[in-house]
Amino acid sequence: MLSEVTNMLSSWLGRIRLLIGLALILMMTGLLGPAWAEEVRSTRYRYGEREVSTGYYEEYEVKPILYLPGGPLMRKGIPLESAPTEPVRWRTYLTDTHLGIRGYKRHHDCTDCHPQQGRDRHTVRAGITCDQCHGREPISGVNHYWSPLSPIRRHAYVCAKCHEGASVSYAEYAVHEPIPAMLSTRQTFPFLFFAFWMMVSVAGGTFVVFLPHTALWGIRELLIMKKDRAENESKQQD
Amino acid sequence: MRIKRFDRNQRLFHLFLMLTFLIQSGTGFGRLFITTDFGRSLSSIFGGYEIALVIHFWVGTIMMVGFTVHVVYLVKRIDRRNLLNSILGPDSLVLGPQDAKHLLQRIKWTLGLDSHPKLDRWAYWEKFDYWAVFWGLPLLAVTGIMLRFPLLTTKLLPGWTLNIAGLLHRAEAILAASFIFIVHFFIGHFRPHSFPMNEAMFSGTVHLEEALEEKPAWVDRLKKEGKLDPAMAKPPARWFRVFYFIFGYTALGFGLYILINGIVYGRYIQLH
Repeated sequence: MLSEVTNMLSSWLGRIRLLIGLALILMMTGLLGPAWAEEVRSTRYRYGEREVSTGYYEEYEVKPILYLPGGPLMRKGIPLESAPTEPVRWRTYLTDTHLGIRGYKRHHDCTDCHPQQGRDRHTVRAGITCDQCHGREPISGVNHYWSPLSPIRRHAYVCAKCHEGASVSYAEYAVHEPIPAMLSTRQTFPFLFFAFWMMVSVAGGTFVVFLPHTALWGIRELLIMKKDRAENESKQQD
Repeated sequence: MRIKRFDRNQRLFHLFLMLTFLIQSGTGFGRLFITTDFGRSLSSIFGGYEIALVIHFWVGTIMMVGFTVHVVYLVKRIDRRNLLNSILGPDSLVLGPQDAKHLLQRIKWTLGLDSHPKLDRWAYWEKFDYWAVFWGLPLLAVTGIMLRFPLLTTKLLPGWTLNIAGLLHRAEAILAASFIFIVHFFIGHFRPHSFPMNEAMFSGTVHLEEALEEKPAWVDRLKKEGKLDPAMAKPPARWFRVFYFIFGYTALGFGLYILINGIVYGRYIQLH
């Protein structure tokens, strides 16, 4: 009799322990709820490392319906534009930036049409090819929403391939730096333009003073030495 | 007869600057011209393109430390009891209105229109040479650090400042190297009066006749103050002369090698 009661009690205890365990598991899943919401809303965890929020948060998860420059749903105000960015060109928003260009042939050497872009440090010194950053054909425009070179994700998808830890600010470095001496650089990258001409002024000013000064000094000393030599020779003859 | 011109500390500072400047020029120009044969051969002296950068960074760091030490030395040299004379007096390297007068008079002298100015201990070109380092070194140091630590730099500044830092670093390096290898070398060693070498910065002494001719106001002042006899010095030992002639001409030769090739390959400089 006693053993039957004990067995019944232990089985009920087992069920109660099971129920408590299940209840605990359910409570823990409930606690995770805010964490899920946190992950979806978090700007730091999900986006800060790899992409920057455009500000259109609830639409970010959804592919844009109509994405044409000048169109009604065009994304405006993407906050990150590097200093040397030229005035917005609509082609930079296309999936195929060379679409409709007469005479364009795929597999051309990029520098046939973009010679200046082949003369920067990345190309000349590091030997990086165009497609390593811009991708293969069809080459998307750098401002295309999903392009790896879009300013919101360029630092993580392109720069960080070689420069581990590159940030959004890092990606503002102008890889295809304009020629600092040219007048057009005053519009596209004014700081570079003025820094260059300031250094030219400093260097020019220094050499304009010291080169003639030094040259004339040398000539004058030569003449003095000749004169002294002539005087010594005449004294010796006397 | 010889007279003391530079003390041991001054000569050590100059030697330090000379060595570090030449190493920085060699490594820097080797990298600047790396796409040319000149750049490749110059870099190979230092172990190649990558090793040249490592040397350039570490010697640059040593240069910055030396510059800081020199600034501390300068501040300690100021005589606080006689502050105005110490900073603006005839023994000071601070530029003054007298230097502008000397510059104009000297230009007239070179054209045969005036007599030679009576220069005191430091001439205006020596003062300019001295203060030019205070412009160039901090600029090169700051831009160099920005370029060496781009990730840290872009945490504090926008990334496009690296473009400007690169431009300023190269431009200032070319300016400094050109000035030293053309103007400083000529004034120091190649002008007829000093040729084959101006030994003052190595031996620390100059001939009294030379000092009377070039810096008459200084010698007169020493006489008036009764400091001329204590300033007299023995000529340097023969072995020391041979040593610094070889050393000096090696440095001159290296500088001229960089200068001439820099001019020849100048079109390959990309200031971007």
